[in-house]
Amino acid sequence: MLHAFSYVAPRSLDELLAFLSSHGDDTRVFSGGTDLFVNIRSGLVSPQYVADLKTVPGLREISFTGQEGLSIGACATVNELLAHETVCERYPVLRIAGEELATLQLRNRATVVGNIVTASPCGDMTSPLLCLGTDVVLVSARGERRIPLGEFITGVKTTQIAADEIVSRLIVSTDRIDASGGYRKLKRIKGHDLGVVAVALVRAANTMLVAISSAAPTPVLLPEFDARTPVAEIQKSAQAAISPIDDVRCTSEYRRFMVDVYIRRLMEEVPA
Amino acid sequence: MIRITVTINGERYEREVAEHRTLLHFLRNDLGLTGTKEGCGAGECGACTIIMDGRAVNSCLVLAAEADGAELETIEGAAAGGELSAIQQAFHDNHAVQCGFCTPGMVMSATDLLRRNPNPSREEIIDGIEGNFCRCTGYQQIIEAIEAAARAAGAAAGKGSDHA
Ligand SMILES: Cc1cc2nc3c(=O)[nH]c(=O)nc-3n(C[C@H](O)[C@H](O)[C@H](O)COP(=O)(O)OP(=O)(O)OC[C@H]3O[C@@H](n4cnc5c(N)ncnc54)[C@H](O)[C@@H]3O)c2cc1C
Ligand code: FES
Ligand code: FES
Repeated sequence: MLHAFSYVAPRSLDELLAFLSSHGDDTRVFSGGTDLFVNIRSGLVSPQYVADLKTVPGLREISFTGQEGLSIGACATVNELLAHETVCERYPVLRIAGEELATLQLRNRATVVGNIVTASPCGDMTSPLLCLGTDVVLVSARGERRIPLGEFITGVKTTQIAADEIVSRLIVSTDRIDASGGYRKLKRIKGHDLGVVAVALVRAANTMLVAISSAAPTPVLLPEFDARTPVAEIQKSAQAAISPIDDVRCTSEYRRFMVDVYIRRLMEEVPA
Repeated sequence: MIRITVTINGERYEREVAEHRTLLHFLRNDLGLTGTKEGCGAGECGACTIIMDGRAVNSCLVLAAEADGAELETIEGAAAGGELSAIQQAFHDNHAVQCGFCTPGMVMSATDLLRRNPNPSREEIIDGIEGNFCRCTGYQQIIEAIEAAARAAGAAAGKGSDHA
């Protein structure tokens, strides 16, 4: 059972943003609802209004241009991302990581943007998007702003988003287009468990990017490496950057150990 | 309360529904379509799987209000005219049902899978039911049933056309 809230189905972006200007503090916007309704059900949040982004025209698009890069609209689902030809061909790390997210049924609803805004330390889309270089576009009745993903996420489940703002889309840069990539996620059961620890690796022409999730309050992007950097050096940099905790799923020691294992395996697996 | 119109298994329903009502509770409690089951209520078990506008979803995480205008398929629509569907028959023949609680969701996931991919490999079947828990069978019989259903559909299609 969910607590009694009002369902808002805005017919335009202006209507939504006007509503949020006056009721933002009492409202949660949502698209897939796969995080929101679980959190409402468990009493973690209890908004007076839930506003459905899917009724706003124009927020679902995934598009690519050579100048801007890949644009992922607020309501684009993970399965729509996985079915997108440019994504599969030119941003392979997004496909590989997206396939690890939850289950088929959930991916039919869950959005890429929802995954970012939730800002869970173990969100599967964040690390690959950090490696590729991604900006978050926020809109409100006050205007639009664009911030790098790494700055947008500020802590465990916290972001820079204001109560009257929504994320309209993500823009993935062309900096690492056509780069090969890999994603390794340790979990107990696919789809039914949060990641215990995960590593994303992207190999561009002369550089390498590595990001780690579930090993610190936010996913961590390591500084860019030269393509010939030895494994041990990347592992050392990773160990210095992460601060894993002991929890019900495993110890911090095991998380540290597996980060090293995954970095080594990804370096072997992902073609230069 | 808001007024919604949904099509379920080809039949139109127009109803007043509480705005915080989940689609699962709308189906089960308001419409009496209790074939769709509630296991966890939180997206984990897949017992509540239905097909919404051609896609398998967890109806426990969808609001009834969101389904306004949608086409839904539930387990009640599977046995058209009182005849078991090929998938239901295969579940029966292959002992893929023990307590039966997961079965409606499994059949809907299998239906969705075979539409997208009429000839799935064993791996693809396992991926197709990744969102559905079964606490009884150990999955082997379910996987075999879906293989059998795919074979049966292939054989029926082969009979019905000139080219194999
Ligand atoms: C059983 C289960 C398994 C899961 N497994 C995984 C997993 O393996 N990996 C993983 O990463 N995640 C997992 N998740 C979490 C979840 O499915 C994902 O985070 C998903 O991508 C969220 O997207 P959504 O559209 O459903 O978000 P919603 O629930 O719609 O929204 C999530 C949050 O973001 C806010 N929000 C959403 N869109 C916007 C926007 N455009 N602007 C501003 N705020 C917004 C909402 O207010 C809410 O607080 C799982 C969830 C469940 C229930
Ligand atoms: S009841 Fe919906 S997934 Fe368990
Ligand atoms: S038959 Fe009992 S849960 Fe699957």
